[in-house]
Amino acid sequence: MNWWRFVVANEFRKILAFRSDFWVTFIGQTVVMVLIARALWQSIFEANGTEVMEGFTLPMMTLYYIIVPLANKIMTGENVGFLSREIYDGSFNRYLIYPISFFQYKILTYLTHSVFFSVQLILIFCVFNLIVGHGLSVELLINLFFGIFIFLCAACVYCMLAMSVELISLWADNVWSLMVMIRFFVFFFGGSYLPLDFFPSWANALLKFTPFPHLISLPIRTTMGLATTTEIVTGLGSLFVWGIIFTMTAKKMWAAGEHRYNGVGI
Amino acid sequence: MKRYFRLYLHFLQFSFSKAMEFRLDFTFRIIMDFIYYVVNILLFKVLFLHTNLIGGWTEEQMMIFIASYLLVDAINMTIVATNLWWFPAYINRGDLDYYLIRPVSPLFFLSLREFSANSFMNVVLAGTFFIYSIASYSEPFTLFQLMGLFALLINGFFIYYCIQMLMVIPVFWTQSPRGFIDLFYSLGIAMERPDRIFKGWLRVLFTVILPFALIASYPAKFFIEGLEAIDLLHIASVSIGLGLLLFFIWKKALRSYSSASS
Repeated sequence: MNWWRFVVANEFRKILAFRSDFWVTFIGQTVVMVLIARALWQSIFEANGTEVMEGFTLPMMTLYYIIVPLANKIMTGENVGFLSREIYDGSFNRYLIYPISFFQYKILTYLTHSVFFSVQLILIFCVFNLIVGHGLSVELLINLFFGIFIFLCAACVYCMLAMSVELISLWADNVWSLMVMIRFFVFFFGGSYLPLDFFPSWANALLKFTPFPHLISLPIRTTMGLATTTEIVTGLGSLFVWGIIFTMTAKKMWAAGEHRYNGVGI
Repeated sequence: MKRYFRLYLHFLQFSFSKAMEFRLDFTFRIIMDFIYYVVNILLFKVLFLHTNLIGGWTEEQMMIFIASYLLVDAINMTIVATNLWWFPAYINRGDLDYYLIRPVSPLFFLSLREFSANSFMNVVLAGTFFIYSIASYSEPFTLFQLMGLFALLINGFFIYYCIQMLMVIPVFWTQSPRGFIDLFYSLGIAMERPDRIFKGWLRVLFTVILPFALIASYPAKFFIEGLEAIDLLHIASVSIGLGLLLFFIWKKALRSYSSASS
Protein backbone atom coordinates (compact mmCIF):
# COMPACT_ATOMS: atom_id res chain seq x y z
CA MET A 1 0.00 0.00 0.00
CA ASN A 2 1.48 3.30 -1.06
CA TRP A 3 0.00 5.25 1.85
CA TRP A 4 3.10 7.40 2.06
CA ARG A 5 2.29 8.99 -1.31
CA PHE A 6 -1.00 10.33 0.02
CA VAL A 7 0.67 11.61 3.17
CA VAL A 8 3.38 13.41 1.19
CA ALA A 9 0.85 14.94 -1.23
CA ASN A 10 -1.29 16.10 1.67
CA GLU A 11 1.69 17.72 3.43
CA PHE A 12 2.69 19.56 0.25
CA ARG A 13 -0.86 20.85 -0.05
CA LYS A 14 -0.71 22.09 3.55
CA ILE A 15 2.62 23.86 3.01
CA LEU A 16 1.28 25.66 -0.05
CA ALA A 17 -2.23 26.32 1.28
CA PHE A 18 -1.57 30.02 1.94
CA ARG A 19 0.56 30.93 -1.03
CA SER A 20 0.82 34.69 -0.58
CA ASP A 21 1.98 34.26 3.02
CA PHE A 22 4.32 31.50 2.03
CA TRP A 23 6.11 33.40 -0.72
CA VAL A 24 6.27 36.72 1.14
CA THR A 25 7.73 34.95 4.19
CA PHE A 26 10.13 32.85 2.13
CA ILE A 27 11.50 35.72 0.05
CA GLY A 28 11.43 38.16 2.95
CA GLN A 29 13.19 35.82 5.35
CA THR A 30 15.85 34.73 2.88
CA VAL A 31 16.61 38.08 1.27
CA VAL A 32 16.42 40.28 4.36
CA MET A 33 18.37 37.92 6.58
CA VAL A 34 21.14 37.70 4.00
CA LEU A 35 21.25 41.47 3.61
CA ILE A 36 21.44 42.02 7.37
CA ALA A 37 24.16 39.40 7.80
CA ARG A 38 26.11 40.79 4.85
CA ALA A 39 25.88 44.34 6.23
CA LEU A 40 27.23 43.14 9.59
CA TRP A 41 30.13 41.22 8.09
CA GLN A 42 30.94 43.96 5.62
CA SER A 43 31.36 46.37 8.55
CA ILE A 44 33.59 43.83 10.35
CA PHE A 45 35.73 43.22 7.24
CA GLU A 46 36.05 46.98 6.75
CA ALA A 47 36.89 47.61 10.41
CA ASN A 48 39.66 45.00 10.19
CA GLY A 49 40.85 46.18 6.77
CA THR A 50 41.05 42.62 5.51
CA GLU A 51 39.47 40.57 2.75
CA VAL A 52 39.67 37.14 4.37
CA MET A 53 38.67 36.16 7.90
CA GLU A 54 39.04 32.58 9.13
CA GLY A 55 39.08 31.41 5.51
CA PHE A 56 35.93 33.33 4.58
CA THR A 57 35.75 36.16 2.06
CA LEU A 58 32.71 38.46 1.97
CA PRO A 59 31.09 36.65 -1.03
CA MET A 60 31.62 33.31 0.76
CA MET A 61 30.04 34.75 3.88
CA THR A 62 27.09 35.94 1.77
CA LEU A 63 26.58 32.44 0.36
CA TYR A 64 26.86 31.01 3.88
CA TYR A 65 24.03 33.24 5.10
CA ILE A 66 21.95 32.49 2.00
CA ILE A 67 22.07 28.82 2.96
CA VAL A 68 21.53 29.33 6.71
CA PRO A 69 17.77 30.19 6.79
CA LEU A 70 16.99 27.22 4.57
CA ALA A 71 19.37 24.98 6.50
CA ASN A 72 17.44 25.86 9.66
CA LYS A 73 14.16 25.05 7.94
CA ILE A 74 15.37 21.76 6.46
CA MET A 75 16.63 20.61 9.82
CA THR A 76 13.63 21.70 11.86
CA GLY A 77 11.14 20.30 9.31
CA GLU A 78 7.69 20.75 10.79
CA ASN A 79 7.36 23.51 13.33
CA VAL A 80 7.69 23.30 17.11
CA GLY A 81 4.74 21.39 18.56
CA PHE A 82 4.33 18.95 15.66
CA LEU A 83 3.61 16.20 18.18
CA SER A 84 2.91 17.82 21.55
CA ARG A 85 0.10 20.00 20.14
CA GLU A 86 -1.82 16.87 19.15
CA ILE A 87 -1.20 15.24 22.50
CA TYR A 88 -2.50 18.33 24.30
CA ASP A 89 -5.66 18.72 22.23
CA GLY A 90 -6.41 15.00 22.08
CA SER A 91 -6.19 14.73 18.27
CA PHE A 92 -3.34 12.28 18.77
CA ASN A 93 -6.11 9.64 18.98
CA ARG A 94 -6.12 9.26 15.22
CA TYR A 95 -2.61 7.80 15.16
CA LEU A 96 -3.74 5.08 17.51
CA ILE A 97 -6.45 3.95 15.09
CA TYR A 98 -4.49 4.35 11.84
CA PRO A 99 -3.32 1.00 10.48
CA ILE A 100 0.21 2.39 10.18
CA SER A 101 3.06 3.09 12.58
CA PHE A 102 2.75 6.45 14.31
CA PHE A 103 6.54 6.84 14.17
CA GLN A 104 6.68 6.20 10.42
CA TYR A 105 3.82 8.63 9.80
CA LYS A 106 5.37 11.41 11.85
CA ILE A 107 8.84 10.98 10.36
CA LEU A 108 7.34 11.07 6.89
CA THR A 109 5.39 14.28 7.47
CA TYR A 110 8.46 15.84 9.07
CA LEU A 111 10.76 14.87 6.21
CA THR A 112 8.25 16.06 3.60
CA HIS A 113 8.78 19.57 4.96
CA SER A 114 12.55 19.06 4.92
CA VAL A 115 12.47 17.85 1.30
CA PHE A 116 10.33 20.83 0.30
CA PHE A 117 12.83 23.27 1.83
CA SER A 118 15.69 21.34 0.18
CA VAL A 119 14.10 22.05 -3.20
CA GLN A 120 14.03 25.74 -2.27
CA LEU A 121 17.70 25.53 -1.33
CA ILE A 122 18.60 23.94 -4.66
CA LEU A 123 16.73 26.71 -6.46
CA ILE A 124 18.35 29.54 -4.48
CA PHE A 125 21.82 28.00 -4.64
CA CYS A 126 21.61 27.70 -8.44
CA VAL A 127 20.20 31.23 -8.88
CA PHE A 128 22.97 32.68 -6.64
CA ASN A 129 25.73 30.94 -8.58
CA LEU A 130 24.28 32.06 -11.90
CA ILE A 131 23.94 35.66 -10.67
CA VAL A 132 27.52 35.91 -9.35
CA GLY A 133 28.80 34.36 -12.57
CA HIS A 134 30.15 31.07 -11.19
CA GLY A 135 27.83 29.12 -13.49
CA LEU A 136 26.72 25.61 -12.62
CA SER A 137 29.82 23.47 -12.89
CA VAL A 138 29.73 19.72 -12.24
CA GLU A 139 31.78 20.26 -9.08
CA LEU A 140 29.23 22.74 -7.69
CA LEU A 141 26.37 20.36 -8.44
CA ILE A 142 28.17 17.43 -6.80
CA ASN A 143 28.78 19.55 -3.67
CA LEU A 144 25.13 20.57 -3.70
CA PHE A 145 24.01 16.95 -4.04
CA PHE A 146 26.16 15.78 -1.11
CA GLY A 147 25.14 18.83 0.91
CA ILE A 148 21.44 18.07 0.44
CA PHE A 149 22.06 14.43 1.35
CA ILE A 150 23.72 15.45 4.65
CA PHE A 151 20.99 18.04 5.28
CA LEU A 152 18.37 15.29 5.04
CA CYS A 153 20.40 12.98 7.32
CA ALA A 154 20.64 15.88 9.81
CA ALA A 155 16.87 16.42 9.50
CA CYS A 156 16.28 12.75 10.42
CA VAL A 157 18.51 13.07 13.49
CA TYR A 158 16.92 16.34 14.59
CA CYS A 159 13.46 14.84 14.00
CA MET A 160 14.29 12.07 16.48
CA LEU A 161 15.71 14.60 18.96
CA ALA A 162 12.58 16.75 18.58
CA MET A 163 10.34 13.71 18.96
CA SER A 164 12.07 12.70 22.21
CA VAL A 165 11.46 16.17 23.62
CA GLU A 166 7.91 16.51 22.24
CA LEU A 167 6.98 13.21 23.89
CA ILE A 168 7.73 14.78 27.28
CA SER A 169 4.30 16.36 26.74
CA LEU A 170 2.87 13.04 27.96
CA TRP A 171 4.12 14.08 31.41
CA ALA A 172 4.52 17.87 31.33
CA ASP A 173 1.99 20.67 30.74
CA ASN A 174 3.99 22.41 28.06
CA VAL A 175 7.13 21.54 26.12
CA TRP A 176 7.15 24.47 23.71
CA SER A 177 9.76 26.33 25.73
CA LEU A 178 11.95 23.22 25.92
CA MET A 179 11.89 22.88 22.15
CA VAL A 180 12.76 26.55 21.69
CA MET A 181 15.66 26.13 24.13
CA ILE A 182 17.00 23.26 22.06
CA ARG A 183 16.70 25.35 18.94
CA PHE A 184 18.77 28.14 20.52
CA PHE A 185 21.50 25.63 21.33
CA VAL A 186 21.40 23.93 17.94
CA PHE A 187 21.37 27.19 15.99
CA PHE A 188 24.15 28.81 18.01
CA PHE A 189 26.47 25.83 18.43
CA GLY A 190 25.53 24.45 15.01
CA GLY A 191 26.73 27.54 13.15
CA SER A 192 23.50 29.32 12.16
CA TYR A 193 24.45 32.58 13.82
CA LEU A 194 28.02 32.58 12.61
CA PRO A 195 30.40 30.03 11.03
CA LEU A 196 31.97 27.78 13.66
CA ASP A 197 35.43 28.67 12.30
CA PHE A 198 35.04 31.90 14.30
CA PHE A 199 34.63 30.04 17.58
CA PRO A 200 37.77 29.56 19.71
CA SER A 201 39.58 26.30 18.90
CA TRP A 202 38.87 24.83 22.38
CA ALA A 203 35.13 25.37 21.79
CA ASN A 204 35.31 23.64 18.40
CA ALA A 205 37.20 20.74 19.96
CA LEU A 206 34.42 20.34 22.55
CA LEU A 207 31.61 20.75 20.02
CA LYS A 208 32.89 17.79 18.00
CA PHE A 209 31.54 15.54 20.75
CA THR A 210 28.04 17.00 20.39
CA PRO A 211 25.60 16.60 17.46
CA PHE A 212 25.34 20.38 16.91
CA PRO A 213 28.08 21.07 14.31
CA HIS A 214 27.01 18.07 12.22
CA LEU A 215 23.41 19.27 12.05
CA ILE A 216 24.02 22.66 10.41
CA SER A 217 27.67 23.54 9.88
CA LEU A 218 28.69 20.27 8.18
CA PRO A 219 25.95 20.27 5.49
CA ILE A 220 26.51 23.98 4.80
CA ARG A 221 30.26 23.49 4.47
CA THR A 222 29.66 20.51 2.20
CA THR A 223 27.26 22.48 0.00
CA MET A 224 29.83 25.28 -0.25
CA GLY A 225 32.59 22.80 -1.08
CA LEU A 226 34.58 23.63 2.07
CA ALA A 227 34.33 20.29 3.86
CA THR A 228 37.09 17.71 3.46
CA THR A 229 36.30 14.02 2.79
CA THR A 230 37.44 13.12 6.32
CA GLU A 231 35.16 15.79 7.76
CA ILE A 232 32.20 14.45 5.76
CA VAL A 233 32.83 10.82 6.67
CA THR A 234 33.35 11.46 10.39
CA GLY A 235 30.41 13.86 10.40
CA LEU A 236 28.10 11.29 8.83
CA GLY A 237 29.35 8.68 11.30
CA SER A 238 28.59 11.03 14.16
CA LEU A 239 25.11 11.76 12.78
CA PHE A 240 24.49 8.03 12.52
CA VAL A 241 25.46 7.45 16.16
CA TRP A 242 23.40 10.42 17.41
CA GLY A 243 20.51 9.26 15.24
CA ILE A 244 20.53 5.87 16.96
CA ILE A 245 20.76 7.48 20.41
CA PHE A 246 17.83 9.83 19.76
CA THR A 247 15.72 7.11 18.09
CA MET A 248 16.21 4.80 21.05
CA THR A 249 15.37 7.65 23.43
CA ALA A 250 12.19 8.48 21.50
CA LYS A 251 11.13 4.80 21.44
CA LYS A 252 11.77 4.44 25.17
CA MET A 253 9.85 7.65 25.86
CA TRP A 254 6.92 6.43 23.83
CA ALA A 255 6.97 3.01 25.50
CA ALA A 256 7.01 4.64 28.92
CA GLY A 257 4.46 7.36 28.17
CA GLU A 258 2.00 5.60 25.86
CA HIS A 259 -0.25 4.50 28.70
CA ARG A 260 -0.33 7.96 30.20
CA TYR A 261 -2.12 9.33 27.14
CA ASN A 262 -5.79 9.73 28.03
CA GLY A 263 -7.11 10.81 24.64
CA VAL A 264 -9.00 13.75 26.12
CA GLY A 265 -6.45 16.54 25.89
CA ILE A 266 -6.02 19.48 28.25
CA MET B 1 -8.45 56.20 31.25
CA LYS B 2 -9.06 55.13 34.85
CA ARG B 3 -11.39 52.40 33.62
CA TYR B 4 -8.68 51.04 31.30
CA PHE B 5 -6.16 51.11 34.11
CA ARG B 6 -8.51 49.14 36.38
CA LEU B 7 -9.17 46.69 33.57
CA TYR B 8 -5.45 46.19 33.06
CA LEU B 9 -5.00 45.41 36.74
CA HIS B 10 -7.57 42.65 36.28
CA PHE B 11 -5.60 41.33 33.31
CA LEU B 12 -2.49 41.21 35.50
CA GLN B 13 -4.25 39.38 38.29
CA PHE B 14 -5.72 36.83 35.88
CA SER B 15 -2.39 36.29 34.07
CA PHE B 16 -0.39 35.69 37.26
CA SER B 17 -2.87 33.16 38.62
CA LYS B 18 -2.91 31.41 35.22
CA ALA B 19 0.91 31.28 35.09
CA MET B 20 1.05 29.76 38.58
CA GLU B 21 -1.17 26.88 37.44
CA PHE B 22 1.57 25.65 35.09
CA ARG B 23 4.63 25.98 37.29
CA LEU B 24 6.90 23.72 35.24
CA ASP B 25 6.17 25.70 32.08
CA PHE B 26 6.67 28.91 34.07
CA THR B 27 10.18 27.78 35.03
CA PHE B 28 11.04 26.47 31.55
CA ARG B 29 10.11 29.77 29.96
CA ILE B 30 12.33 31.72 32.32
CA ILE B 31 15.23 29.39 31.50
CA MET B 32 14.44 29.65 27.78
CA ASP B 33 14.63 33.44 27.80
CA PHE B 34 17.77 33.32 29.91
CA ILE B 35 19.40 31.09 27.27
CA TYR B 36 18.27 33.52 24.57
CA TYR B 37 20.05 36.35 26.41
CA VAL B 38 23.21 34.31 26.91
CA VAL B 39 23.28 33.30 23.22
CA ASN B 40 22.94 36.95 22.16
CA ILE B 41 25.75 38.07 24.42
CA LEU B 42 27.97 35.15 23.37
CA LEU B 43 27.42 35.92 19.69
CA PHE B 44 28.93 39.38 20.06
CA LYS B 45 31.62 38.12 22.47
CA VAL B 46 32.76 35.68 19.76
CA LEU B 47 32.66 38.40 17.10
CA PHE B 48 34.78 40.66 19.29
CA LEU B 49 37.45 37.95 19.37
CA HIS B 50 38.04 38.88 15.71
CA THR B 51 37.49 42.63 15.64
CA ASN B 52 37.69 45.69 17.89
CA LEU B 53 34.75 47.56 16.42
CA ILE B 54 31.31 46.57 15.18
CA GLY B 55 29.30 49.36 13.59
CA GLY B 56 31.75 51.82 15.14
CA TRP B 57 31.19 50.56 18.69
CA THR B 58 33.61 48.93 21.08
CA GLU B 59 32.69 45.84 23.11
CA GLU B 60 31.53 47.77 26.19
CA GLN B 61 29.45 50.12 24.03
CA MET B 62 28.01 47.11 22.25
CA MET B 63 27.02 45.61 25.62
CA ILE B 64 24.87 48.70 26.28
CA PHE B 65 23.24 48.23 22.89
CA ILE B 66 22.65 44.48 23.50
CA ALA B 67 21.19 45.21 26.93
CA SER B 68 18.91 47.81 25.32
CA TYR B 69 17.41 45.48 22.73
CA LEU B 70 17.12 42.62 25.22
CA LEU B 71 15.19 44.92 27.54
CA VAL B 72 12.82 46.00 24.74
CA ASP B 73 12.38 42.37 23.73
CA ALA B 74 11.64 41.31 27.33
CA ILE B 75 9.05 44.08 27.73
CA ASN B 76 7.48 43.08 24.43
CA MET B 77 7.39 39.39 25.40
CA THR B 78 5.78 40.32 28.70
CA ILE B 79 3.16 42.78 27.56
CA VAL B 80 2.10 42.07 23.98
CA ALA B 81 3.81 39.11 22.27
CA THR B 82 1.54 36.38 23.65
CA ASN B 83 -1.57 38.35 22.69
CA LEU B 84 -0.41 38.90 19.14
CA TRP B 85 0.58 35.23 18.84
CA TRP B 86 -3.07 34.25 19.31
CA PHE B 87 -4.44 37.13 17.25
CA PRO B 88 -4.71 35.21 13.91
CA ALA B 89 -6.69 32.47 15.63
CA TYR B 90 -9.27 35.00 16.88
CA ILE B 91 -9.79 36.31 13.35
CA ASN B 92 -9.90 32.91 11.67
CA ARG B 93 -12.26 31.36 14.20
CA GLY B 94 -14.52 34.38 14.34
CA ASP B 95 -13.71 34.90 18.04
CA LEU B 96 -13.06 38.58 17.41
CA ASP B 97 -16.84 39.06 17.71
CA TYR B 98 -16.56 38.73 21.48
CA TYR B 99 -14.02 41.52 21.60
CA LEU B 100 -15.95 43.83 19.31
CA ILE B 101 -19.10 43.80 21.43
CA ARG B 102 -17.27 44.73 24.65
CA PRO B 103 -17.39 48.36 25.77
CA VAL B 104 -13.62 48.83 25.48
CA SER B 105 -11.29 49.40 22.56
CA PRO B 106 -10.81 46.00 20.82
CA LEU B 107 -7.23 46.98 19.95
CA PHE B 108 -6.49 47.61 23.64
CA PHE B 109 -8.17 44.37 24.69
CA LEU B 110 -6.53 42.20 22.03
CA SER B 111 -3.06 43.67 22.50
CA LEU B 112 -2.88 43.68 26.30
CA ARG B 113 -5.28 41.07 27.66
CA GLU B 114 -2.64 38.47 28.47
CA PHE B 115 0.29 39.66 30.55
CA SER B 116 3.05 37.05 30.34
CA ALA B 117 3.99 36.59 33.99
CA ASN B 118 6.95 34.30 33.26
CA SER B 119 8.45 36.81 30.84
CA PHE B 120 8.11 39.42 33.55
CA MET B 121 10.85 37.57 35.41
CA ASN B 122 12.95 38.05 32.29
CA VAL B 123 12.33 41.79 32.34
CA VAL B 124 14.04 41.62 35.73
CA LEU B 125 16.92 39.62 34.22
CA ALA B 126 17.26 41.90 31.19
CA GLY B 127 16.95 44.93 33.47
CA THR B 128 19.77 43.63 35.66
CA PHE B 129 21.99 43.15 32.62
CA PHE B 130 21.01 46.65 31.45
CA ILE B 131 22.02 48.18 34.80
CA TYR B 132 25.25 46.16 34.80
CA SER B 133 26.21 47.28 31.30
CA ILE B 134 25.56 50.93 32.22
CA ALA B 135 27.36 50.65 35.57
CA SER B 136 30.43 49.05 34.01
CA TYR B 137 30.65 51.64 31.19
CA SER B 138 34.00 53.36 31.54
CA GLU B 139 33.06 56.71 29.89
CA PRO B 140 31.42 59.44 32.00
CA PHE B 141 27.73 60.09 31.36
CA THR B 142 25.00 62.40 32.67
CA LEU B 143 21.57 61.70 34.11
CA PHE B 144 20.10 63.36 31.01
CA GLN B 145 21.79 60.75 28.79
CA LEU B 146 20.45 57.94 30.97
CA MET B 147 16.91 59.32 31.07
CA GLY B 148 17.04 59.93 27.33
CA LEU B 149 18.11 56.34 26.73
CA PHE B 150 15.26 55.08 28.86
CA ALA B 151 12.66 57.32 27.19
CA LEU B 152 13.84 56.33 23.72
CA LEU B 153 13.69 52.64 24.66
CA ILE B 154 10.05 53.05 25.74
CA ASN B 155 9.43 54.68 22.38
CA GLY B 156 11.36 51.75 20.82
CA PHE B 157 8.93 49.34 22.44
CA PHE B 158 6.03 51.29 20.90
CA ILE B 159 7.68 51.07 17.44
CA TYR B 160 8.27 47.34 17.95
CA TYR B 161 4.62 46.83 18.86
CA CYS B 162 3.38 48.81 15.84
CA ILE B 163 5.52 46.87 13.35
CA GLN B 164 4.51 43.57 14.95
CA MET B 165 0.83 44.49 14.79
CA LEU B 166 1.16 45.62 11.18
CA MET B 167 2.60 42.19 10.34
CA VAL B 168 -0.30 40.37 11.99
CA ILE B 169 -3.19 42.48 10.70
CA PRO B 170 -2.99 41.09 7.10
CA VAL B 171 -4.64 37.97 8.57
CA PHE B 172 -7.93 39.84 8.13
CA TRP B 173 -7.47 39.47 4.37
CA THR B 174 -5.32 36.34 4.00
CA GLN B 175 -6.99 34.19 6.72
CA SER B 176 -3.65 32.44 7.15
CA PRO B 177 -2.80 30.74 10.45
CA ARG B 178 0.07 33.05 11.46
CA GLY B 179 0.02 36.10 9.22
CA PHE B 180 3.50 37.45 8.63
CA ILE B 181 4.61 36.96 12.22
CA ASP B 182 7.42 34.58 11.20
CA LEU B 183 8.67 37.22 8.80
CA PHE B 184 8.48 39.76 11.62
CA TYR B 185 10.68 37.63 13.88
CA SER B 186 13.18 37.16 11.04
CA LEU B 187 13.22 40.88 10.32
CA GLY B 188 13.58 41.50 14.05
CA ILE B 189 17.29 40.67 13.68
CA ALA B 190 17.64 44.17 12.24
CA MET B 191 16.84 45.47 15.73
CA GLU B 192 19.75 43.44 17.08
CA ARG B 193 22.35 45.07 14.85
CA PRO B 194 23.86 48.58 15.20
CA ASP B 195 22.24 50.92 12.67
CA ARG B 196 25.58 52.14 11.30
CA ILE B 197 26.12 48.86 9.46
CA PHE B 198 23.11 49.60 7.24
CA LYS B 199 23.89 51.69 4.19
CA GLY B 200 21.99 52.92 1.12
CA TRP B 201 18.43 51.67 0.62
CA LEU B 202 18.85 49.13 3.43
CA ARG B 203 19.30 52.07 5.78
CA VAL B 204 16.13 53.68 4.46
CA LEU B 205 14.31 50.36 4.95
CA PHE B 206 15.37 49.94 8.58
CA THR B 207 15.16 53.56 9.68
CA VAL B 208 11.98 54.66 7.88
CA ILE B 209 9.88 51.89 6.32
CA LEU B 210 10.42 49.14 8.89
CA PRO B 211 12.23 51.22 11.52
CA PHE B 212 13.84 48.42 13.53
CA ALA B 213 17.00 50.51 13.86
CA LEU B 214 15.10 53.13 15.88
CA ILE B 215 14.12 50.59 18.56
CA ALA B 216 17.44 50.07 20.34
CA SER B 217 20.29 51.27 18.13
CA TYR B 218 19.30 54.95 18.09
CA PRO B 219 18.62 55.01 21.86
CA ALA B 220 22.02 53.39 22.51
CA LYS B 221 23.60 55.89 20.13
CA PHE B 222 21.95 58.72 22.07
CA PHE B 223 23.56 57.45 25.27
CA ILE B 224 26.97 56.67 23.79
CA GLU B 225 27.53 59.49 21.29
CA GLY B 226 24.52 61.77 21.51
CA LEU B 227 22.03 62.40 18.71
CA GLU B 228 21.50 65.47 16.53
CA ALA B 229 18.15 67.30 16.82
CA ILE B 230 17.33 66.05 13.33
CA ASP B 231 17.72 62.44 14.51
CA LEU B 232 15.34 63.02 17.42
CA LEU B 233 12.88 64.65 15.03
CA HIS B 234 13.25 61.64 12.76
CA ILE B 235 12.46 59.23 15.64
CA ALA B 236 9.43 61.30 16.66
CA SER B 237 8.01 61.62 13.16
CA VAL B 238 8.51 57.94 12.31
CA SER B 239 6.90 56.88 15.61
CA ILE B 240 3.88 59.14 15.12
CA GLY B 241 3.58 58.09 11.47
CA LEU B 242 3.72 54.41 12.39
CA GLY B 243 1.08 54.86 15.11
CA LEU B 244 -1.25 56.65 12.69
CA LEU B 245 -0.66 54.00 10.03
CA LEU B 246 -1.49 51.24 12.50
CA PHE B 247 -4.68 53.02 13.55
CA PHE B 248 -5.74 53.56 9.93
CA ILE B 249 -5.05 49.96 8.88
CA TRP B 250 -6.73 48.60 12.00
CA LYS B 251 -9.92 50.53 11.15
CA LYS B 252 -9.75 49.30 7.56
CA ALA B 253 -9.17 45.71 8.71
CA LEU B 254 -12.15 45.80 11.06
CA ARG B 255 -14.35 46.93 8.17
CA SER B 256 -13.31 43.87 6.16
CA TYR B 257 -13.80 41.43 9.06
CA SER B 258 -16.45 38.95 7.99
CA SER B 259 -16.96 37.33 11.40
CA ALA B 260 -17.33 33.93 9.74
CA SER B 261 -14.78 31.38 10.84
CA SER B 262 -12.49 29.64 8.37
